[in-house]
Amino acid sequence: MLTGSKTTFKVRQMVPDMKERMLSQSGVNARSRDMFGLRCLPGECVLQRAVLVRKKLTAREGGGWLSGTLFCTHFRVAFVPQDSPKPDDNADPVLLGDHDVALASIEKVVAVGPSRTKLVTPNSSLKFTPEELVLYCRDLRVICFLFDRLTPDTQAVEITYTIAKTYQPLKSGTVLSFQNAALGSVEMKQFLSNRHRDAHMNWFESSADWEQELERCRATGWRVSSVNDRFEMSTSLPRFNVVPQKVLDTELKKTFAHFNEGRIPRWCWRHPRGSDLLRMASFQNNIYHEKDDTRNLELILFGVQSSLCVVVDLGEEMPSPTDIQLAHSRLRALCLGDISSSVSVPDDKWLSTLESTHWLDYTRCCLRKAAEVACLLRGGHLTTVLQESEDRDMSCVVSCLVQVMCDPHSRTQVGFQGLVQKEWVMGGHRFYSRLNHHRDNDKEEAPVFLLFLDCVWQLLAQYPSRFQLTGDFLLALHDSVHLPLFSSFLANCQRERCKRTQHQSQTYTPVNGWRDVLPQGASPDPSDAPLPSVWDWALQYSRERRAHFTQPIAPTPPLQPLLNGNLNTNPDTHRLSDTSPGSVFLLSRGSFSCPANLLPWRSGSSGVYKKSHRRAPSSENLPGLERLLKAWALTEGPQGLASSTMGPQGPLDPYEPLLPLLLGPCVGVWKECYLRGALHAQAFSHPISSNHPHPVEQLAWEVQQLKDKLASTASTDANPPSKRAEPRRTDSNLNQNTNNGTFLFPASRSQGLGVTRPVAPPTSTNLQTSRALLPSSAPVSRPGHKDSSGSSKHTFLFGHASVTEARQDQRYYPMPNNSKLTKSNGPSLGS
Amino acid sequence: MEKSGSIDSLGSKRSSSRQPSVDSLSSTSTRSDRSGQAKPPSADSVSPTELSPELRVRPKAPIKAESDKEEPQLLPNETVQDMTKDVTYICPFIGALRGTLTITNYRLFFKSTDREPAFVLDLPLGVVSRVEKIGGASSRGDVSYGLVCKDMRNLRFAHKQMEDSLRKSIFEVLMKFAFPVSNGLQIFAFEYGQVFPENGWKVYDAQAEYKRLGIPNESWRITKVNDHYELCDTYPSTLVVPVNIPDDEVKRVAAFRAKGRIPVLSWIHPESQATVTRCSQPMVGVNGKRSKEDEKYLQAIMDANAQSHKLFIFDARPSVNAAANKMKGGGYESEDAYQNAELVFLDIHNIHVMRESLRKVKEVVYPNIEESHWLSNLESTHWLEHIKLILAGALRIADKVESGKTSVVVHCSDGWDRTAQLTSLAMLMLDGYYRTIQGFQVLLEKEWLSFGHRFQMRIGHGDKNHTDADRSPVFVQFMDCVWQMTRQFPAAFEFNEYFLVTILDHLYSCLFGTFLCNSEQQRVKEEIPKRSVSLWSYINSQLEEFTNPLYVNYYNHVLFPVVSLRHLELWVGYYIRWNPRMRPQEPVHQRYKELLAKRAELQKRVEELQREVTNRSASSSSERAGSPTRSITPVQTFV
Repeated sequence: MLTGSKTTFKVRQMVPDMKERMLSQSGVNARSRDMFGLRCLPGECVLQRAVLVRKKLTAREGGGWLSGTLFCTHFRVAFVPQDSPKPDDNADPVLLGDHDVALASIEKVVAVGPSRTKLVTPNSSLKFTPEELVLYCRDLRVICFLFDRLTPDTQAVEITYTIAKTYQPLKSGTVLSFQNAALGSVEMKQFLSNRHRDAHMNWFESSADWEQELERCRATGWRVSSVNDRFEMSTSLPRFNVVPQKVLDTELKKTFAHFNEGRIPRWCWRHPRGSDLLRMASFQNNIYHEKDDTRNLELILFGVQSSLCVVVDLGEEMPSPTDIQLAHSRLRALCLGDISSSVSVPDDKWLSTLESTHWLDYTRCCLRKAAEVACLLRGGHLTTVLQESEDRDMSCVVSCLVQVMCDPHSRTQVGFQGLVQKEWVMGGHRFYSRLNHHRDNDKEEAPVFLLFLDCVWQLLAQYPSRFQLTGDFLLALHDSVHLPLFSSFLANCQRERCKRTQHQSQTYTPVNGWRDVLPQGASPDPSDAPLPSVWDWALQYSRERRAHFTQPIAPTPPLQPLLNGNLNTNPDTHRLSDTSPGSVFLLSRGSFSCPANLLPWRSGSSGVYKKSHRRAPSSENLPGLERLLKAWALTEGPQGLASSTMGPQGPLDPYEPLLPLLLGPCVGVWKECYLRGALHAQAFSHPISSNHPHPVEQLAWEVQQLKDKLASTASTDANPPSKRAEPRRTDSNLNQNTNNGTFLFPASRSQGLGVTRPVAPPTSTNLQTSRALLPSSAPVSRPGHKDSSGSSKHTFLFGHASVTEARQDQRYYPMPNNSKLTKSNGPSLGS
Repeated sequence: MEKSGSIDSLGSKRSSSRQPSVDSLSSTSTRSDRSGQAKPPSADSVSPTELSPELRVRPKAPIKAESDKEEPQLLPNETVQDMTKDVTYICPFIGALRGTLTITNYRLFFKSTDREPAFVLDLPLGVVSRVEKIGGASSRGDVSYGLVCKDMRNLRFAHKQMEDSLRKSIFEVLMKFAFPVSNGLQIFAFEYGQVFPENGWKVYDAQAEYKRLGIPNESWRITKVNDHYELCDTYPSTLVVPVNIPDDEVKRVAAFRAKGRIPVLSWIHPESQATVTRCSQPMVGVNGKRSKEDEKYLQAIMDANAQSHKLFIFDARPSVNAAANKMKGGGYESEDAYQNAELVFLDIHNIHVMRESLRKVKEVVYPNIEESHWLSNLESTHWLEHIKLILAGALRIADKVESGKTSVVVHCSDGWDRTAQLTSLAMLMLDGYYRTIQGFQVLLEKEWLSFGHRFQMRIGHGDKNHTDADRSPVFVQFMDCVWQMTRQFPAAFEFNEYFLVTILDHLYSCLFGTFLCNSEQQRVKEEIPKRSVSLWSYINSQLEEFTNPLYVNYYNHVLFPVVSLRHLELWVGYYIRWNPRMRPQEPVHQRYKELLAKRAELQKRVEELQREVTNRSASSSSERAGSPTRSITPVQTFV
């Protein structure tokens, strides 16, 4: 279709009226079209392509080079490896292939010529034929393509131009056109409208969702209030909020005015030992507190615990959004080696420069605060309220981290998604402003969410076996944040999100029926389908990639629902709850205090309170609380050492928080994310390992496979289809064997895993699909492989002849920074 | 089973079923360090590491005792020399602890009496670099002593001044046994009588190793010229030289190379025949002396590899230092004299710089880590930069040999420090054999021990002269580089981190004879193999402790690590293991073992199931019968 320079001319003209063109095509073609081996999305058209291109693989992908064809469409830059399997026309569309990058992710296009490098902008002209094309992405990837001598020069030049002209520096206009390019076709809209949401995770959209969470946490004494159903009480709070049962909606309504943006104390989570975690905005100080108000305020603040409430101040000591933004931009500059500006930090200054970004300090700060809160909650029977002036940034970070530390459910993929949904998406983190995809408010931009992901990664790095989700999952989420495609990240609060949807479908929403609307929300008018949620991973990632989102084997201890809301009671608890009811303390900078003006209605100016509650000076609680905090210092310190003789990893209380070590050497750089693109890291390619299915996984898979075989042998002619699949599977197995006798069969992971994994979809269907999938996905790349794996000695120095023929599964992945067993499996395996 | 039997009889007091020898030693295993949950005998609890000998370190090993005894469990032939109650150990992490201090001819053993469970400190005296009395008697009559250890820690004790001044303080006893060489005593390795089922002295046989490399071949021969160490007393007796250089010419070459350390073959590429050869600097001197024999010799090395008409000479030193060596008669090969040779300087600094750098590391990590400036403090030690330079040098060598198919000659000044680091690291990258447990032992035996890295001098076994300028952490640095590689290629090495830490622990412990003496000649003379036990005997008798469960044998793969500082890390599990706050959150070592066990178990089940499938399918349709049977093979080959 588009080859040679003549066509490029056309391309340039074509770009402006892309939309028309797209529309004209979308009706005609089948859902997916196969162009030169590229599987296009509906409505997507190829603007330019270049053949005989080699893509530099990151260390993670195995290093070396991969040859294939490079495409530029109006939505992405796609790369199709030479011998990639023929696309399956019936499969659901996946937005981005494994080697693709969305145009909206591209930040800079750099062409490298024989003697020079040039930043290519839409208006620039190239005076040389690029040998190499480097794409710097917003998500910190650096993607590098090498043109072969045999690549026609015109192709190399033109694809560089095309990419430079088509990639969209973010502005509000381009975000919209990008969304249209990706999802705008009729087929795509229909497809999206018919997507099912993942029913396994909690979306926190309906009151039933919240009730389900209350039940999961065994949180009694709380109820879901729909008083904000029309966002009249607070525009930024979700429709449904969890408040103490004893407070009636009418009483509740009066409390909103006392808080910044009406963000009243709301329940987030209950620790199995009975403490509740709440969050709220700062108090409105210049407001008269009537007696009744005061009572209600106290009620919602203390929640179901009448005795003790700790307000955790997230103001001063935590980094401000501005700090975070600054730190992140420094980190980017540091990590993203940039050949066009050739200003990169010399290696010997790497450590101090890294330190001066303060990014790690902020990570540590969030983790420390969350660990303190986790220790408080562990103490039992108190209410901990996170207070931040707006309650929309750090309180999201801290409340989530606390739950990740304390709640094993939050460490599963499904649970984590629910958590983000609860605390960030519904909780009203201002994603739209903070991510600033539309580039309309640079002052507000701050990657608070990315800081949070980094913190989670730190926990994961220290407790690899306690997470069911993996680093790959965090990485996928990290990258998705940079794609302006997902409803989750394109609004500041639920109200804005609803506005958009309602605007489209104008569906009447019954008070408690929100949930029903969305699934069928299948707005009849397909012109403006809702944007997908980020959790719809199948839309973004191939099955193989998704298989890496979770550990193959359930972490220890097995995830089980809570038995009751009162796990064993800590001795400290009694001492704490004995004291006079109604004590409030402020936790700030690691110590407790009870400043007079902590609760404005209790402070001198409004004398009302004193009359109703004769408040005893409750400082006798202080030692108890401090003891709780000390417990955390102790587990970290030598005392903990002494007391943990029985083995820190003994049969642990699964709810014992994962307290991170925060000493300098313990908080590290998330290299898989920040350094994956850096060019110096790719100077040599290398063998692999971290991504390999671990041998134990392989064995687990084989065991499962054999079990299946046994089962099918037993039920001899029961199900013909599976019988047919069998011989083929064995074949693949055999190939695998010829490969040095190791179990490095790449596709296998995805197959067996669904079965062993606890949270995976129902086994039977999964099994079925994976079988069905197998012929296309797995064995295709085999045969050449077999031959090349012989005795030849493979090196992975790039440019070396053997590189291209060496296949992924023969290499080690370097694992730059995890000492621990990322792929480690709990003992609970198989059995 | 016979194993445990023999060990039991050998006097370990506890007979635990599996590894009695280990148990006896590690009854007080510590949980404090990430390095090892299960420490090897003696050494582990000792956990010595090397380090700059001059550092003032006070050893302290927080260790838990599981036994109630006041005394350590003694090794064979270990005897208690002194014991004092009411000694205070001033732990930088926990604070002062009162307890009983025991000194044997092998170890220092402290057990607290005022704490439950008891705190135990157990370290081999070989770790101690210096003992100093701090201050005079205080007002309360306490005297305090500081112990500087070679393994990145310092220990501090205090006890009451003896009223009876005739009696020797326990610390005088300590000094006597900590520095046996200076006091005319014997190093404990010569008394240690443990017998292990494996004999580590048999691990390395030069002839066998060269045979493995395909030598002799048409270009290389094994020469007996150094059979009695008369050619070069720091080289091994077995040397490999180019075929066409007769022995008398070899002797003339030796005259031109510092200390007679002629270029000899360390490794040969199985396909291209490109070689790694090592030597010392040429004795060029200020006048630019030349040696026809030496030039011819290097030409012969180049000619032995038909693939390339070039030879690379890697001089590990910075060029300035190499030039400065001319004043002392040394120098480097001039490109005029050596046609077709290209000289490359690798800019690696000398032993004194390294010693100083590691001393700074210790300052930064022990006992306290300053949180807010951790990274810049670490940077200011330059330790990682040195590591980077060494790895980068080895990488260039490996790259030239593998990708350039070119032979290389590596030297520094004497060819026993930086040269050993470079050649052994390059060989580790090039040859998968050295990445196995046994292969690594061979590598150390060959490149370090037989080629005369002066362990005695660099470590100062049993010598109280802690300021000796010859001490330097060269070997530690090498092990650090190995560790960096294991981090980047976690599945490429058969051994685990604990293996590396154990070797370093016993580098100092003086429990085994392996690292004693400076050269093969001395070891032969001292009859080390006869009179002491090899570290490999201990290690090879319990391989499962040291096995990396992630290991997959990619035999033919060449590893090229990333040497950017961005991808190097401080070896926390070794340098900072004494800090209880650095304890790994999850016992990785334990998990490794669990994984191994799980693998074996699954393996078994797979086999069972396969057998069952075979049986069943045999009885049902013959069509399906074939496949399961065949699929058995992979599993077996794998394990």
